[in-house]
Amino acid sequence: MSDQPVAAAHDLELVALAAAGGRAAFGELVRRHGSAVRALLRRMGADSSLADDVAQDAFLAAFEQIADFRGEGTFQAWVKRIAARLYVRRWRREARQALAAVAAEAEADDTHAEAGAANRIDLDEALKALTPAERVCVTLCYGGGMSHGEAAAALNTPLGTVKSHVKRGLDKLRQRLAPGRDFGAVESTVHG
Amino acid sequence: MAEFMFERELERMFAEAPAFPDAQLFAVQVEERLARGWTFRRFLIGGLGAVGGVIGGAQLLGSGVLSRAGELTAASQHYAAAQVAQLLPTNLTPSGFPLGEALWMSAALALVAVGLALTRAIREI
Repeated sequence: MSDQPVAAAHDLELVALAAAGGRAAFGELVRRHGSAVRALLRRMGADSSLADDVAQDAFLAAFEQIADFRGEGTFQAWVKRIAARLYVRRWRREARQALAAVAAEAEADDTHAEAGAANRIDLDEALKALTPAERVCVTLCYGGGMSHGEAAAALNTPLGTVKSHVKRGLDKLRQRLAPGRDFGAVESTVHG
Repeated sequence: MAEFMFERELERMFAEAPAFPDAQLFAVQVEERLARGWTFRRFLIGGLGAVGGVIGGAQLLGSGVLSRAGELTAASQHYAAAQVAQLLPTNLTPSGFPLGEALWMSAALALVAVGLALTRAIREI
């Protein structure tokens, strides 16, 4: 297949071609969705180098498992979930050593962010105010499309803990992304 | 309601991926890793096949199967030739081409065909 039909093809057609071994078709999928996957991992807290490594691993894993993709959701959402799970696996391994140091950094950022809360800042900046656990939980649920239960399973963490992290994370994001607006203390719309 | 609106807004913000200037490079890197993986897999399968072939060949030679098969071929050659000669018109029988060798060549060709089929199957996997 020439480049032009691949570039014009729908994601599902590319998936079918990739499932038949078409690496050019899969390359087009990477071109289309690579940025979204990389952005998700950075928002989960990965530095740029780690995010790219994990994103590459996720796409390679996706190619290996592409026959499992049933087209029930979008291809991008499917790869994002693979990437999120891969990152969570690493994060859990490294969390014990890094968590204390990163949490201290987050506290410092928190103070800094409070001072500038009157200004609207973008999501990536706002996420920096969250603790690593809050950041991972919020990103899994709102960026990775996971339910609280799926996030809890991926993190091997009790469901209640995930819900707490999400709630605290949302409160912080609300303060930074929509200062001055009263959203009330309503239950999250992402369900278990 | 306001909470719901905020969460939908948050999902929308998460869905907006920033444009990475090195997006093309990233895709190329993934494709290269994919190609490396395939090359490695091919070499691995080829290497294991070669090692298996050498071991199998050595076992075959060591067990004296070939000499025994040769004896059996020689013993049955005349009988097979006589039977085949009865079945085939004389002008189709290859002159100066012993039937035993023809049988061995057929077996070798069958082995090559099996090898090709296996290679194809491995590529499909």
